[in-house]
Amino acid sequence: MSGKPLRRTLIASVLLISIVSPLALQLHAATPVAIAKDESGELNLSATKALFDTHSACFVDARSEYAYHKLHIKGARSLSDSRFDEQFPEFRQKLPIETLIVVYCSEPSCAKARHVAKKLRKNGYKNVRVYSGGLVEWAHAGFPMEG
Amino acid sequence: MARIGFPSALITAPRLILGALFIMSGFEKLLDLKFFGLVIAEYQILPSLLIPAAALILSLCELLCGTMLLLDLFSRVSSSIMLCMMAIFIAAMTYNVMRGLEHECGCFEFLTQWYGLKEEIGIGPIVRDILFFILLLPIALSGSNRIPWKKQQG
Repeated sequence: MSGKPLRRTLIASVLLISIVSPLALQLHAATPVAIAKDESGELNLSATKALFDTHSACFVDARSEYAYHKLHIKGARSLSDSRFDEQFPEFRQKLPIETLIVVYCSEPSCAKARHVAKKLRKNGYKNVRVYSGGLVEWAHAGFPMEG
Repeated sequence: MARIGFPSALITAPRLILGALFIMSGFEKLLDLKFFGLVIAEYQILPSLLIPAAALILSLCELLCGTMLLLDLFSRVSSSIMLCMMAIFIAAMTYNVMRGLEHECGCFEFLTQWYGLKEEIGIGPIVRDILFFILLLPIALSGSNRIPWKKQQG
């Protein structure tokens, strides 16, 4: 094989890869399991909904248990910031350590989700994300809730 | 035993108002005992094992004492029980406010549903319970302990 066609093939391949790879990245980002994050490194509404739809994460409500009892994201578990130590042993028994966990509270200004995420990481759960929009944003979007 | 004389309006009006209020509050708590139990748990004062029993006893006490106050049936006894409960509520709320905890007070949840009032622990609910305590005092001190449908002798 002569050098010219080989060079052409190489250039064509590089061009093709450079055109296709951004498209592939975009496609990957559009898949439901992709974890899109906002500037603070926390999950935004669309990424959270994607995880919810694919059942690929366990949702954890960091608000008080009575607030969870009244209303929560459909299928979410309660692990309140205020009674973490009391609730955690049962939570640990039911959820394997490698589970992807999405923690939320009421709204972006609520710090409980971040506190619970921190405590979960401290207790061995490495795959923990915070959904900063919280229940208010979720409800406003009309996404599934129960209580 | 000599009883302190209070104007009858100072006994009847609070008796009727507080009676009605306690009936609504107790009834509402009994309708969703789990919610009330979870609010009690949030106070972080009682051990978990005692919480369901405490929720049931407190709700029943409010409902029964409220009914007895409204009907003027053993008003002194029922207002004395409510005085004790108010003292416990005031102490528990003050303790948690001082600890910097923020949670629902578990007092009158229907006020949130009807008027959108926030029923979280704080100065407001503490002052309200102190006011209820003051209003219950005349009933406990000189309210009647008679059964209304029985004719008084002598």
